[in-house]
Amino acid sequence: MFPGAKPAVGVLFDSAMRRIDDVLALAMLHAYGGKGQARTAAVGVSCPDLEAAQFCDSLWAFYAGAATCTAAKAMHPPPVGLADGKPAARLPMLSQPLGKRGADGQPVYPNTIQSIEDTAEVPTLFRNALMAQYDQDAVIVLSGPATNLVQLLDMYGAKDWIMRKVRLLSVTGVGVESDAAAAQKLFAEWPTPIAMAGREIGDALPFPGEAIEKDFAWTTADPVVDAYCAYRPMPYDAPSYAMAAMLYAVHPNDGYFKLSGSGNPRQLVLDPTQKDRIVGAYVELASAKPVPRKPKHPAEEEKKNPPLAAH
Amino acid sequence: MITKKALPRRTFLRGVGTAVALPFLDAMVPALASAKNAKPPVRMAFVYVPNGIIMQGWNPDYEGQLNELPRILKPMEPFRQDITLLGNLTHNTGRALLDGAGDHGRCCASYLTGVQPRKSVTDIKAGVSFDQIVANQVGRQTRFPSLELGMEDARQAGDCDSRYSCAYTNNLAWRSESEPLPPILDPRALFERLFGNGVTMTPEARARENFYRRSILDFVSDDTHQLENNLGPTDRRKLDEYLSSIRAVELQIQKAEKDNAQIDPHMDKPYGTPADFAEHFRLMTDMMTIAFQSDLTRVITFLVTHEGTSRPYREIDIADGHHPLTHHRNHPDLIEKVTQINSYHVTQFAAWIAKVKAIREGDGSLLDNCMIVYGAGLSDGNRHLHEDLPTLVAGRGGSHFKPGRRIVYRKETPMCNLFLAMMDRMGVHVEHFGDSTGRLDVLDLA
Repeated sequence: MFPGAKPAVGVLFDSAMRRIDDVLALAMLHAYGGKGQARTAAVGVSCPDLEAAQFCDSLWAFYAGAATCTAAKAMHPPPVGLADGKPAARLPMLSQPLGKRGADGQPVYPNTIQSIEDTAEVPTLFRNALMAQYDQDAVIVLSGPATNLVQLLDMYGAKDWIMRKVRLLSVTGVGVESDAAAAQKLFAEWPTPIAMAGREIGDALPFPGEAIEKDFAWTTADPVVDAYCAYRPMPYDAPSYAMAAMLYAVHPNDGYFKLSGSGNPRQLVLDPTQKDRIVGAYVELASAKPVPRKPKHPAEEEKKNPPLAAH
Repeated sequence: MITKKALPRRTFLRGVGTAVALPFLDAMVPALASAKNAKPPVRMAFVYVPNGIIMQGWNPDYEGQLNELPRILKPMEPFRQDITLLGNLTHNTGRALLDGAGDHGRCCASYLTGVQPRKSVTDIKAGVSFDQIVANQVGRQTRFPSLELGMEDARQAGDCDSRYSCAYTNNLAWRSESEPLPPILDPRALFERLFGNGVTMTPEARARENFYRRSILDFVSDDTHQLENNLGPTDRRKLDEYLSSIRAVELQIQKAEKDNAQIDPHMDKPYGTPADFAEHFRLMTDMMTIAFQSDLTRVITFLVTHEGTSRPYREIDIADGHHPLTHHRNHPDLIEKVTQINSYHVTQFAAWIAKVKAIREGDGSLLDNCMIVYGAGLSDGNRHLHEDLPTLVAGRGGSHFKPGRRIVYRKETPMCNLFLAMMDRMGVHVEHFGDSTGRLDVLDLA
């Protein structure tokens, strides 16, 4: 990146983490981070399931290259947002990878979340994350009910931050339909363009189950693979609702999808000639090798930008 | 004989150039008054320490009822039932938010204002701090709407942190978005502010005065005798203790002045400032106690040392600067030294809390009617983290708080939510402050 240039787009990802495509979309986001094409600005979970937050945290640790819980903590993971409410039923897709132990008895996929206090309220997390983005350099991907985003809209002063920072809201139809009232309010009041990946998009572009065995062969332990295998009996292809929304959010102008009509939201339209390209992108991103992060130390920044007056 | 006539709360002992406010006395409560009217006021104070804290030595590994306290908080053991430890409070506006380096400047400027300060050396801008919002509302009832105190370096100009003005690192309270309130550092200046006629004397003028008189109390002796004759034995004892505490402070200041004159009469240092950190801290906090006790003010901010300070602590055999030490890079020896500095600060604070608790007021202690926040604008000073800020509240805020607990909120909970809750306890009701998202819950007795 040239000095003074904006960094890659910051993505705020809010999902229910109840379907495998949510997991795959989050894997895509981390892969984008490794490629420098997008940054994970914040991750929120709209279903009150602590394991969902733990899984998101463990995925962060996996892509950051933290092999143990201690290592993950030392790398100072970003907080995961989690909705309040009656705890949801456990999902094998989440609990099995989280419960997986190595020969030493330690978690194969460590995470740093032990209780709800280790998570953040999603609207606060998203507002804070937006404040740290360059103007018009953030996108929000919503793959779940609009509950969290409606709460964000209602937060004092947050709408101004949304207008200033967010250039696109990319939503999945199957996600928002689970809270119709929230969706109605979101579409009526959201101040930026909205693109919606309808059910038909995700159904028409399934993630190929065979890729799980073929394209992830570089590793023997990948939480995405374990989640995929636990979600449904293998082999199966998974609808890609959240992945489509993520792909469009990061690459709106790269011809993966077209947009229908006018108004807000506008629907993603599939160009059949792009199908292989899109599925190829899904596989490439979801199976990408982690690029371990280098921790940035404030003292290093101070060296580049030293205080003029010594105390 | 029982009468409804009471001593006015705002009674002063007056003398030439002197006005000594009184503590809360039984005689100030009408005999047949309702309990509500007799309730002492709630006061609040902020004691800010710089450069973060070694959090392993601060955070207990449990929530709920306070039991054994971690190393840095050990000096607070005797007051376990009087303190509340709050976890996970965050100042998002202290973070870089695209402004790059300068966490020390930002964290101090945003601490009580709740806004992101403008990165500038000359064109400063933050926001009205919440203590000043409270002072504007309740300050009319006291001689001083608020007091701003500190112990080190009150430079208001220049670059103190990566192109952040010293106005950001050296002030806690902001009257307006461009007008910080510099702290009083010199105990003599504070003493004269509290008990004088508002004029701070030159050292020469003070020396002349000292030659002729022994104590500020001499000037008010007539009023004192007259008042004593009308007080019951309990109030007489309270008054005697109170005036003795003023005299003790006065003697400490005179001693510091004498010591300083012997060391170097031309020293570039406030004249009445003790060279010893603990002694300076004690003097300032003793006067804070008196100011609260006599209801001279209900709002105090105390910037112990300025944010980013590189002050060494030779008092405890630490010759390295505080700030460089905090960038310890996980080196155990350096962490140990920072821990010792953190503990040293808390030791001084605990000594103050002991005094505030020892003062009887109404049905309880002065501490019961206070909310004294001890904290920092950074948690981990090594990594410059603005979340899980070390936050301790001493007191019950006038029977509003149920202390003796550690309460851990969810991550990213704005520190400004605490301020909203505190404003409520001070009788100041606003809907939003800074980046607040609501009032901090769980603090209440209920």
